[in-house]
Amino acid sequence: MFVVFGLLPLLYTAWVSLHDWDLIDGPRAFTGVDNYAQLLSDWRFYNALGNTVSIFLLSTVVQLLAALGLAALLNRPLRASSWWRAGVLLPNVVSVVAVALVFGQLFGDTSGTVNAVLELIGLDPVDWHSDRWSAHLAVSVMVIWRWTGYNALLYLAAMQSIPQERYDAAALDGASRWQAFWLITVPGIRPTILFTVVISTIGGLQLFTEPQLFDPLGTSGTGGTDRQFQTLVMYLYERGFTEYDAGYAAAVAWAVVAISGIVVLVNFGLVRRMVARS
Amino acid sequence: MSSHLRSSRLAAVLTVVLLLSSGCFGGSGTIRLTLATFGEFGYRELVRTFERDHPGITVVTRVTDFDSHHKALATALGTGRGAPDVVAIEEQYLPRMRQSADKFVDLRTYGADKLSDRWVDWKWSAGLAGEKVIGLGTDMGGLAMCYRRDLFAAAGLPTERDAVSRQWRTWRDYADVAERFAATAGEDVHFTDSAANVFQSMVSQLDRNYFAADGSYIAAKNAPLKDAFTIAGELGANGFTAGVQPFTQEWSAAIRSGSVATVACPSWMLALIRNAAGPEGEGKWDIAAVPGGSGNRGGSYLAIPAQTEHARAAYQLAEWLTAPEQQRRTFLTTGILPSCPAVYRDPKIQSRRDRYFSNAPVGKIYAAAADALRPTFRGVDDARVRPRFDAALGRIEEGALSVPEAFAEAVQRGRDALGGG
Repeated sequence: MFVVFGLLPLLYTAWVSLHDWDLIDGPRAFTGVDNYAQLLSDWRFYNALGNTVSIFLLSTVVQLLAALGLAALLNRPLRASSWWRAGVLLPNVVSVVAVALVFGQLFGDTSGTVNAVLELIGLDPVDWHSDRWSAHLAVSVMVIWRWTGYNALLYLAAMQSIPQERYDAAALDGASRWQAFWLITVPGIRPTILFTVVISTIGGLQLFTEPQLFDPLGTSGTGGTDRQFQTLVMYLYERGFTEYDAGYAAAVAWAVVAISGIVVLVNFGLVRRMVARS
Repeated sequence: MSSHLRSSRLAAVLTVVLLLSSGCFGGSGTIRLTLATFGEFGYRELVRTFERDHPGITVVTRVTDFDSHHKALATALGTGRGAPDVVAIEEQYLPRMRQSADKFVDLRTYGADKLSDRWVDWKWSAGLAGEKVIGLGTDMGGLAMCYRRDLFAAAGLPTERDAVSRQWRTWRDYADVAERFAATAGEDVHFTDSAANVFQSMVSQLDRNYFAADGSYIAAKNAPLKDAFTIAGELGANGFTAGVQPFTQEWSAAIRSGSVATVACPSWMLALIRNAAGPEGEGKWDIAAVPGGSGNRGGSYLAIPAQTEHARAAYQLAEWLTAPEQQRRTFLTTGILPSCPAVYRDPKIQSRRDRYFSNAPVGKIYAAAADALRPTFRGVDDARVRPRFDAALGRIEEGALSVPEAFAEAVQRGRDALGGG
């Protein structure tokens, strides 16, 4: 199974990336590492990389911290607790296209709800799509909204397997709730935290649908008029399916794989050390 | 369970699967054709007539948006499977598809070379790849200018369509009218939707846009192109545009709220405006002549991917759908402009008026535009470069760039898109 659905496409993509390969006409010439060499001096690639990292940091850090807090809240005795637990997952089961449509309306430049509210309280409206930072923020909000509940439920499941005796013992020793959270809960769910960090890193670096649909031009857009929020996978899509350059798109795909691998390893080590220390 | 029973069940399941996958539930010998279009072609009704007249052929229509449609086609041609039997190709994608003519059925095989008289010359020859015939013309996008009578009246401008047409013979005049309009209009009302929409209309009136006939990239030294960019860009820089693009939510919202006074409208744009403005917009809009004479923007072709298993039936369908009689019918039902001269000179077409647009004589307006038309030359990479110019005009509207800066950037980014650096 892994060979057919995992390995073969990967290898085929690698093979394509070594060619001047037109989407319609197929391979035109074997060019070796030319596509990769071009990639290294392609400002559009670096622009997309910068955007991806920025949106990834903005969304993942907030998302995981919020999920941790939310899980801690849900872990306390609550009335109708299963209702709340199902509720936090709701944003995740809504189709991402619908989410993008709704947020597109909220963050509209001229007729958006957020701007209407800003004007109501006397602030200047924001050109959400034209300014790089506001666009990253808007896309991140979309991602955070979709994934916080999902991560919270993972944390919650892990928290419930922590034996109650530990909390009782801590309470006897006079630990506050805050101390108990950081000294018992967080270390207790460490494997789950590592798992969510890895998964959201991979998801964050491959971010596509939310920012692509945030562009008013939809799938024909390139992430704003000046590529303000074009992510790596959006750039891959542009090269492959708008410019029909399949070879180059395959090289971008492999670059995404490599970058994901590196970032996952770095994050893994970072979080493991942080959590272990506390 | 005996192994005998099990294997007969398996056989039954397999039979059903095979039947489903070969799609022959319509009885033996039925041919099932897929017809893929984007937006509105007005084919839903026509296809039913075709099926009635051609027992043994069923047609499944597949409609997606403009962009996904062409991306899906390119992918299907590349992988050699999944393409529809009959597919619509828009004119800006056609030059690229002509380069891959081997991926399409040469329609001469079925006698298409005898049909050339049906279309205006340029429409027919655009569907040729060398000697081969790969595309049959459907509609065209004759240009006009839609405007809001009520907003013009409020600004003290003439409202009758002939007077309106007379005041903007050139695009310079149009920009002057924009200035007069803005002097009295409220802050939320803009003269036109976007600089890009104005620019693309102007470009469609030029002989040459981004490419010379030999395919070289001439955007930097093409003076008429730069003039067009400057006029459109200044509209944006002066705040006369709403900064919204057709086919987007924001555009629809702006049209509905009445904050846009004019829209450069190829014939297919009428349906967009009607949908966006809704019933309460009826009678507020009208149609005048487009500045700068006439022009064509948009229009499509039907082609048959070579991977089809039913080339003959597919040809029957494509030939029938693009025939003058059917083009006449789609114009009368949906207002889609025919590309056959015989149709738009038809008295019934000429006398056609559109109630929604203040009873404007759409037949006459668009037929006149079609007659005077000189098509602009479209290079193979048109579809790559055009978005970069649109984006640069958007940067002017956002206040990020001045007009000359934006032009320099558009030329450069267009070059980037061509050569990958």
